[in-house]
Amino acid sequence: MSDVISITKKSGSFQKFNWSDDIERSLNKSIYHKNDEMDIDSDEDEDEKDIDTLTSGATTSTNNSTFNNQQIVTPGELVTDDPMWMRGHGTYYLSNMTYSSVAGAVSKVNRLLSVLPLKARYSPETGDHIVGRITEVGNRRWKVDIGAKQHAVLMLGSVNLPGGILRRKSENDELQMRSFLKEGDLLNAEVQTLFQDGSASLHTRSLKYGKLRDGIFLRVPSSLIVRSKNHTHNLPGNVTVVLGVNGYIWLRKTSQMDLTNDSSSTNLNSSTASSTQGPTGSINTNSISITRLEEESSWRIYSDENDKNITNNLRKTISRYTNVIRALSMGEIGITKERIVTGYEASMAFPNIGSLIELNNMQTICEDVINAEKMRGNAI
Amino acid sequence: MSLSVTEKSYLYNSLSSSPSVRPDGRLDYQFRAIEITTDFLTSSNGSSRIIASDGSECIVSIKSKVIDHTVLQPDDSLVEVTLDISGQRDDSPMVESISSLLREVYSKTIDKKSLTLTTKYSFKLYIDVLVISTYSNPISLISMAIFSALNSTYLPKLVSSFDDIEVEELPTFHDYDMIKFDVNPPLIFLVIIVGNNVFIDPALNESEIANNSLIITWNDNKISPPIRSLALNDTYCEGFKPQLLQRSMELVEKCANGITAMLQDDK
Amino acid sequence: MSRLEVYSPEGLRQDGRRWNELRRFDCSINTHAHTSDGSSYLEQGNNKVITIVKGPQEPPLKSQLDQTKATLNISLNITPFSKFERSKTQHKNEKRILELQTILIKTFKKNILMHLYPRTLIDIQIHVLQQDGSLLSCLINGITLALIDAGIAIYDFISGISIGLFNETPLLDLNSQEEIVMSSVTLGVVGNSEKLSLLFIEDKLPLDIMENVLAIGIAGAHRIKDLMDIELKRHAKERLLKQSK
Repeated sequence: MSDVISITKKSGSFQKFNWSDDIERSLNKSIYHKNDEMDIDSDEDEDEKDIDTLTSGATTSTNNSTFNNQQIVTPGELVTDDPMWMRGHGTYYLSNMTYSSVAGAVSKVNRLLSVLPLKARYSPETGDHIVGRITEVGNRRWKVDIGAKQHAVLMLGSVNLPGGILRRKSENDELQMRSFLKEGDLLNAEVQTLFQDGSASLHTRSLKYGKLRDGIFLRVPSSLIVRSKNHTHNLPGNVTVVLGVNGYIWLRKTSQMDLTNDSSSTNLNSSTASSTQGPTGSINTNSISITRLEEESSWRIYSDENDKNITNNLRKTISRYTNVIRALSMGEIGITKERIVTGYEASMAFPNIGSLIELNNMQTICEDVINAEKMRGNAI
Repeated sequence: MSLSVTEKSYLYNSLSSSPSVRPDGRLDYQFRAIEITTDFLTSSNGSSRIIASDGSECIVSIKSKVIDHTVLQPDDSLVEVTLDISGQRDDSPMVESISSLLREVYSKTIDKKSLTLTTKYSFKLYIDVLVISTYSNPISLISMAIFSALNSTYLPKLVSSFDDIEVEELPTFHDYDMIKFDVNPPLIFLVIIVGNNVFIDPALNESEIANNSLIITWNDNKISPPIRSLALNDTYCEGFKPQLLQRSMELVEKCANGITAMLQDDK
Repeated sequence: MSRLEVYSPEGLRQDGRRWNELRRFDCSINTHAHTSDGSSYLEQGNNKVITIVKGPQEPPLKSQLDQTKATLNISLNITPFSKFERSKTQHKNEKRILELQTILIKTFKKNILMHLYPRTLIDIQIHVLQQDGSLLSCLINGITLALIDAGIAIYDFISGISIGLFNETPLLDLNSQEEIVMSSVTLGVVGNSEKLSLLFIEDKLPLDIMENVLAIGIAGAHRIKDLMDIELKRHAKERLLKQSK
């Protein structure tokens, strides 16, 4: 294979042409060809049976006990005629019967019945740590693209303004909103509340939130990010990742603040840091008190200036992490700090970072990550 | 998509530094991975579909028609290219500039002789390009799609005689035998200039901070006209030094043969 | 084509099908995962259709914003190379295309639970790469699949089918040659029910055998629904298997 370009070639019909195409799929496909011509004649019943047996044969090959007990439904399908269930998302109700409105697995939690679609846009929940991009500066509010059905709102009153907490708000702030955050700016924030229509209102009233600097942005399907206590992780190689619950990801040079946050969290929970031997474990000496930082939070929190000395090696490391996360995303593997670190270590087998964009190298990394988990015995 | 100021300056510093670092770690002459499917349109003489790893997608159909070339004007071409970019109006600047470039490249480079049937009749080729989604400038992707479509094109086999000036007959073709259309189509490359560095096949975020970019055509194993400069963004765009044109051409020369070979490879 | 060749005395159509046979029906979903919320690729006979759903998303134009429900936009692109003979014009803004778009929007507006997505836009793009009769019914099937793939809540499948009438014999799922020589009906059938969300007749049809024609159409549409359902469930299992890894 040349190092200039990698090309995957196919000929003929491109039915089932997904990037993550596997043999299993093409095998299944042949089933349909057997029924090239469908009879709906008087022998319909017989024919129907034919199709049924064929498909059940196909599904047993992919069937797995882990979702055997999960009922899969498609829109219009009767989920239950039992009126005791509360109807959640993905269902609708017609004369005492509950039908599915999406394709997916039926979920029954207590008395709440819902159907979880296989794929959907990110839907915000209160407390989510997200990464977003400003799309509009409006009247006392910013509109933020967070990859949801609607843009989120960030109110002027929900951000820390230069000058610390004791500062008084003035009309002047309204006029200079663009000098804090403007169109295109990226920030991380927390979902404060949800409006009636499901759209989110954000806040950045903590020093861990705010404008993002010193790195690059990438995006993965939000389903791959699992909600957890902490979404900012310091990685080996002096890199910090912000894994937005909405699938927006920011990779940056680890800042003083990241180290401070991390050392305080390591004290509480030492097990999380034990898996990595980066600078994370060793730093404790020059930690700055949070209150001091708060005093210092001046215009700097809205600065558009990156750190002056981001070395070339650090940039390369960030590029490598970018490719590792893309590989995990391509393999549809849930993205966690541990997996990113394992993937990063596995990627060292490829000295040329650019070779990680090739499909088979991405697959190798995914396999390594899954195998590593199996070895440790904590495969999910 | 608009990038934030900090993203742009990070990218600019990474790409303009020496040695440079691309956001996805690619080498300066390295392309993004692509996937090509050919021969999926049964009612066209040739077809191809190309998907880049960022999801950009382009479909090309080649159809032929028999025409009387004796009535053609000298400027008339036997190759017609149309371009449709999904979500863009036909008269948008991007569509117009790309289609004029495509017309220029393909109507001049495809040899008229290869399409001649008889002394009176020729094939006329219709190259229809549909760009289903695109993020960065799709010109390079389109040229690769046209390349693979032309390489998978089969034309009907002539069974009547070549010399038909005297006998006023229409050309007749074999019932099912087809002949592979033998061409070596040109490729078009896009190179961006950032500071003193040049890069091939820019991704969207790289295009956003390019100081300038060059469209370079590769035909018949060498660089050939048209070569054009193109502004990909409003903020970073500026003039470039002539040495960088030289470097860009060297970059294209470095990878063009490899690409051609990969695209022609019938595996 | 002479009228005799359309349906032989032995009961065979030109492509070898009997009167009640569908053409090959091959579909897949999630074909454009990188660039869309939902997508499908459908081959029905020689028809080849790509459908791409974007949304529900923030509408780019304020005029597309409805405070109470979603706005649905469908744009249909019939490529100049889609027919056997290449057409000279780009079809955009042709009356016929605009009409088809309106029909599709009206049909699916009623089927999507639009009130769940206030202040958003659902944008559907269709690219017809190749066509060979029964185009409208293919478009309907493609949209149904792509909407389901996008996880957008709908009441039920809508499956499209065309039926032609040849000397009092109804023929199911017409190809382009049959479509030229006979009158035809296009139906959009709701799920497994006998409800029609769309009835589209452009030619003259004798009313007395209409009921019979509809019954055959509905049976054909149910078969198409089953085929789509099989593919969706297969896809769902595959995805759940992946997620459980």
